[in-house]
Amino acid sequence: MQDMTLLLTALFLPLFPLSMVFNALFTRIQHVALRVILLATWPQIGLAILFTTDTAVPTWMLTWALITALLYAFRMLALRDVGQWTSFLATSWWAVLWLLATDHNQDTLQLYAIGLTIPFILLTLLSANLIKQFGAAYSGLHGGLAQSMPRFSGVLVVVILASIATPLFPNFFIMLKIILNTSSAMPIAILVLLVIWLLWSWAGVRLLQGLIVGTAKPGSEGEVSDIKTATSWLYALILITLVAGSVYFSGVFA
Amino acid sequence: MMSKLILLIISLPLLSALLTHLLAGQLGRCVARISVAAILLSVISSAVLLGMSLSGDLVGESIATSPWTVLFYDPLSILMTLVISIISLIVHIYSIRYMAEESGYARFFVLLDLMTASLILMVAAGDLITLVIAWHFVGVLLYFLLGHDTRNTSAYRYAFWTFITYRIGDLPLVLAAVLLFQAYGTWSLPTIFEQMSQNPNAHEVFGLALPEMVGILIALAAFARSAQFLLHTWLPYTMEGPTPVSALMHAGIVNAGGFLINRFAPVFANTSDVLQWVFIVGFISAVIGSVLMLTQNDIKKSLGYSTMGQMGFMVMECGIAAFSLAIYHLIVHGVFKGTLFLSAGSVINATRKNDGVPKDDLYTFIVEKRPGITRKPWLLMALITLAVPLAILVISHLFISVDYFKKQGAIILLFFGWITGAQLIFATYRTRTQNLWRLVFISILSFAVVIMGYIFISHAFDLYLYPDAALREQLYAAASIDKIRFDIIVAIIAVAIVISWLMAYYSERIGVEQKDKSRWWKTFYALFSREFYMTDLYTRLTRNILATSNKLNVWLRWN
Repeated sequence: MQDMTLLLTALFLPLFPLSMVFNALFTRIQHVALRVILLATWPQIGLAILFTTDTAVPTWMLTWALITALLYAFRMLALRDVGQWTSFLATSWWAVLWLLATDHNQDTLQLYAIGLTIPFILLTLLSANLIKQFGAAYSGLHGGLAQSMPRFSGVLVVVILASIATPLFPNFFIMLKIILNTSSAMPIAILVLLVIWLLWSWAGVRLLQGLIVGTAKPGSEGEVSDIKTATSWLYALILITLVAGSVYFSGVFA
Repeated sequence: MMSKLILLIISLPLLSALLTHLLAGQLGRCVARISVAAILLSVISSAVLLGMSLSGDLVGESIATSPWTVLFYDPLSILMTLVISIISLIVHIYSIRYMAEESGYARFFVLLDLMTASLILMVAAGDLITLVIAWHFVGVLLYFLLGHDTRNTSAYRYAFWTFITYRIGDLPLVLAAVLLFQAYGTWSLPTIFEQMSQNPNAHEVFGLALPEMVGILIALAAFARSAQFLLHTWLPYTMEGPTPVSALMHAGIVNAGGFLINRFAPVFANTSDVLQWVFIVGFISAVIGSVLMLTQNDIKKSLGYSTMGQMGFMVMECGIAAFSLAIYHLIVHGVFKGTLFLSAGSVINATRKNDGVPKDDLYTFIVEKRPGITRKPWLLMALITLAVPLAILVISHLFISVDYFKKQGAIILLFFGWITGAQLIFATYRTRTQNLWRLVFISILSFAVVIMGYIFISHAFDLYLYPDAALREQLYAAASIDKIRFDIIVAIIAVAIVISWLMAYYSERIGVEQKDKSRWWKTFYALFSREFYMTDLYTRLTRNILATSNKLNVWLRWN
């Protein structure tokens, strides 16, 4: 029964190959609202199931979680579709949450899951904008967004940086917490975590370069419309709140 | 007072970045004035802070709000804050006109201000998390500064190389921070250093004493930031970015490696083998950087490799425990390299009008009817070349301390000073001037002035940055090797230097340069001109990684 619970958790805090279910689902669902709901609820369901039993997570499962996170971080390098990139990053992130499962209570982990998923939700909303304008949110397809959609590009840059655990965003502090938590139990795991972090950064910058860098297509000025100033301020407000929240909660390091 | 000042110095560029962003629409190009004014105020505040520190005001830490936002105002951070502010101010002022025709003018100044704030925060960080955050931010901001022109794909390509190298360097620092926190239960750097000095071998990690392991990790982080060999390829290729960014990067950002090693000096004082490895890596980088600099025909790329060589020297100085000398070196290098970059455009422009290549002897003799040059005896010149710089160095060092030569680090520095002085006289000899003695005298005089200044200033730096004599001795002990082994190495190097200079003069005399270049020489030159194929190797490796990632995705049906 307990093994079944862990396996079910491995579907929602996705571990490979069960993670393929979430990624297939995310790719199939094209509606932006459904994608947002999926991102927001999927890890919460996993955490809720995990805490239904008092069983300690076995070490082999933690290793499995690390391998999953590494696998998806590595596979992200070749991705060009923003939606797929988001789902792979979410999978990789949620998998490393397993490393905190033994030492933290449900509320804390759920808060972490919310904090780190918000940038993915913002990215999904941004990719929906690209799909609306170009028919696809595909890195390298159009390029030069910094020229044609400067406000959108600015927001996109910050959201991607937030997703790949750049300092002051929740993902950075959560990553630091995971490394801190892991080092005493599985010293080698820290090195794997650091490699995963490096791969996220690499994949993030590759995605950014394919989207914002380059010359905008001639005549695209009229066809492409940037996000409104008010919308960009709304994004900025959410991101500032995220930073403020993560800085506030980082007092846990005391 | 001090804590308020240091907070102000960090806040000013942050505030300026915010105002520049918000007011760019209304003020247009004039918005840069806000930025310049803020940095000018930072410079003034930093100067006041340094003045207070020199006058003996209390130096300590300033705790802001939580356990990880500690600002530290010790002599190192105060000095570095002033250096960063000054370099940043120069770059800001230069950029006002240089960037005037570029798009994203306000964005450039916002990024420049954020970079200044991050650099100051990095040097003033009194805890590990603040240090990691600032260290990380510098890499991210540099990426966007180098890729300021978003249409330029090649600028972004090389900015990516910088970013990924810096990220590689971030990770050892994170690991070191985590290991230190686990061992001492605090993020505060002064507390960690104090506890470590009381019992250095209290903790072990992966079978190594904690200071040893942390020393290795800090050195790795410093190597990535300061473009040490194997992690250097990004540096000469980042010339596609705006010139002010190149100046800021070469004058300030790459020096961060030297700062980091200095910040963790109390850790290195408790290591046994790490500093020797630091010396070796610095030495290799210095030699390779200098040689690659000579083989480049592009002035900016040549300057890039020159920076690599200088960073090698700086790291090498840390490796021989001359920590304060490394700080002096990075400041001096920052000033001259910043100047070189900012004037590179003018030099290129001037070279288009006059290439400056000197006329050869045959031309001046036949066409210009100038008398032929009588060469001085090569052996006499070789002896002067070897003896005079050595004498100047030894006498200068004796002014500081009679037992100075008991320190191994001092002997190694002496060798480098010796070679530099000899190089200066040899270069003077090769100029084939009509009045050689006069020129040699001027060269020796300038060398003596530079050496005296260098020695006295670096000694003053030593007393200011490391007032604790016990720590200085501990650092020298950590960098030392077995005496017999050291003496043998010194003897071999001394003989090699003497023979090499004699051969150099003899070859110059008989004109060995004119002989056919051997195949070996051509292969050697090709290897250097292709920069050891390191760039090709890394590019191939990257492509293979991406191809494997792609294959894996196809195999797993992209889910």
